[in-house]
Amino acid sequence: HLDQAWWDGISDPISYSPYSSDPLLLQFHLQQTAILNSPVGPKTTHFWGPVSNLGFFIAGVADMKKPPEMLSGNMTGVLCVYSALFMRFAWMVRPRNHMLLASHALNESVQLYQLSRWAKGKGYLQPKEDKAPSST
Amino acid sequence: MATSKLQALWNHPAGPKTIHFWAPTFKWGISIANIADFAKPPEKLSYPQQFAVTATGIIWSRYSMVITPKNWNLLSVNLAMAGTGLYQLSRKIRHDYFNEEETAALKE
Repeated sequence: HLDQAWWDGISDPISYSPYSSDPLLLQFHLQQTAILNSPVGPKTTHFWGPVSNLGFFIAGVADMKKPPEMLSGNMTGVLCVYSALFMRFAWMVRPRNHMLLASHALNESVQLYQLSRWAKGKGYLQPKEDKAPSST
Repeated sequence: MATSKLQALWNHPAGPKTIHFWAPTFKWGISIANIADFAKPPEKLSYPQQFAVTATGIIWSRYSMVITPKNWNLLSVNLAMAGTGLYQLSRKIRHDYFNEEETAALKE
């Protein structure tokens, strides 16, 4: 009972609290289990690591205006695989790190988009009709 | 004896059959991609991306030493990220801000 709180996916913490009959104890329990005191909250390393990963997402968004020639295929491809692996890692690690999962999901989407822009710029995504004359 | 030790490593809860191994191991890919990009001309480097690489490397280097147990693997990979990121940033800054005198001198 006491071991579970909102970050484990319980929808109604008040009904699960063993202190629902005692308002003061209930208030204390809710305070202790609130976001600021969460084991993955802003007072812990589990929080600021994912925040730094948002830096990749912000960099990706800032680079969306750039022409595809300026993008690095190496870095973008690596970041796509990196974020995919770390989404799985964030899900399997204990305590489960939803913030890390979210930051990598955002980064994955931006990096995949940038990868497609880079590939189109390099001509890797041409339809087959264009390549037919050269292959015959 | 050796095979049982290898087996223990292979079946480790954070071993090569799990994501706990491959996710941090693959983080080296970021530093390797950055090293491959050392050959790129500085105009093509991205300030936001290199800054994100450097900042991530520095923050995670600190936290890998603060957690229990200390994670030297994590420390090394993030120090490498911070190092390559700083080098790329220095290349681009040098090109953007300290080569102007040379190009101005060439024009004259």
